[in-house]
Amino acid sequence: MNAPAQALLLAQRALVQFPRNPILLGFSVMPVLIMYLVFGGLFEGVAELPGFPTDNYFEYLAPTAVLLATVPGIGNAGVALAADLQNGYFHKLLTTPTSVGVVMLGRLLGDCVRLAVQAALVLLLAIALGAEVATGVPGALLMIVMGTLLGIVTFGAISANLAIRTRDAAAVQAIQPMAFLLIFLTSAYQSSDHIDSGVLRTIIDLNPAEHVLRPMRELMLSGYDWGDIGIGFLVIAALGVVALPITARNYRSAYS
Amino acid sequence: MTNPSPVAATAPSPLDDLLARERTQPLERTSTLGDPIVLENLGKTYPDGTEAVRGISLRVAAGESFGILGPNGAGKSTTIGMLGTLVKPTAGRASVAGFDVVGRPTEVRRRIGFAMQQAGVDEFATPWELVVLQGRLHGLPKHEASARAGLLLGIMELADEADRRLATLSGGTKRRVDLAASLVHLPPVLFLDEPTEGLDPRSRSGIWDLLDRLRSRLGVTLVLTTHYMEEGDRLCERIAIIDRGTVVAEGAPAALKATVGRDATLEDVYLHYTGRAFEDTRMAA
Repeated sequence: MNAPAQALLLAQRALVQFPRNPILLGFSVMPVLIMYLVFGGLFEGVAELPGFPTDNYFEYLAPTAVLLATVPGIGNAGVALAADLQNGYFHKLLTTPTSVGVVMLGRLLGDCVRLAVQAALVLLLAIALGAEVATGVPGALLMIVMGTLLGIVTFGAISANLAIRTRDAAAVQAIQPMAFLLIFLTSAYQSSDHIDSGVLRTIIDLNPAEHVLRPMRELMLSGYDWGDIGIGFLVIAALGVVALPITARNYRSAYS
Repeated sequence: MTNPSPVAATAPSPLDDLLARERTQPLERTSTLGDPIVLENLGKTYPDGTEAVRGISLRVAAGESFGILGPNGAGKSTTIGMLGTLVKPTAGRASVAGFDVVGRPTEVRRRIGFAMQQAGVDEFATPWELVVLQGRLHGLPKHEASARAGLLLGIMELADEADRRLATLSGGTKRRVDLAASLVHLPPVLFLDEPTEGLDPRSRSGIWDLLDRLRSRLGVTLVLTTHYMEEGDRLCERIAIIDRGTVVAEGAPAALKATVGRDATLEDVYLHYTGRAFEDTRMAA
């Protein structure tokens, strides 16, 4: 059996495993949906500010909710990896003719599908609340892809490294709230033009997540801005170039 | 009036069925005609400076049952981990089934089954799913992996638990599932790291009987580590007693015991070669 086929088998395993943990299933989707409804309702008036890009705040908030589903959501992959390392199953898999890379890739593929489904649920809720995706289904899919990839190269890598180092699912779970910081320090809830604090605007501009969220929001509200979309993918690629080799090296140093 | 049916008396057991399946999907046994397991000055020093294994040299013949005995912390798990390609040696070399464990790890893995000290199971899977996945990763077609999983779980007396989540099963049951998963591709070489650690005497005896049958019927080369001297005595044709990362004695259990005294036990052999009582070292570890 070749490596891609092995990765698909392991992805399938990750997907089967997830719904068998009802707590994980519930708590990875419900908070995002609740936050979307609560924040959408609380800040609805923001959309009435002059110059705000849309008059439907739920529309503005939808790409944020996609990121809330994907970035903290990928943390569950780290929790599952820590559990596999803790109980020895990770190494059991490595007694078969496969490799660390394939085992990690299989887990990642499974989690990508899971996150994409979660993000799609969020967008469906947004549509149910009257939001429209300006770029239609292709734009929605692009949004989901960008959100999922950002999750993998940021919090996915952090949680995987923590799992490798600690083998402790609780430790990985404990850092999950940090993922929200990455999203909150963007124009997630308010457009940059309406933020008075220069310091905050600078922080937002420096936050890589902002450069992914911005084109996602354009896909939701206006259309394809290929320049911004390109920057978004470049940011993801740059983060990946840093994060993925660190993860591989971390694994090698911890288990060789 | 009703004599036992000759058909029933000779009806194939699950093990027979399993062996018949092996004949339909034969695995290349070894790449050379030499000993399937060779260690030459094998050593491992961990990054923190711990010298776990210090230059071990051993050979295990095809079909042999070989035990690595010693107290906790002696270097047994590191040694078997290196043979199973899970731990990278820092000195010397080792080959399994004719392949170097560092240079050709994938080829080694194709030919080994490895049940680790900590039964490595996916708590959210069922025994059946776990064994099938392991078989599929070894390249078995789905139907073949499924058939073998059913037979192996039957042999392990786990048919009733086959569809229950592993999280709900006892430690001993998980060990048997792990063993079934290690055997699904019917490997020519089987590594068992402390196979009966933590099991009650009845389960331990059950595993010993099973290993005996598997070895005699499948012709598997078996290497196991244990700190139960009785286990080494019962299962192994030859043993190596390992202490502080080096082999202090090697040979058939009876021959080793004879070098020490008439009614000597393997504990006495350990005391003779290390100058320390085996129980003391277990307690210290």
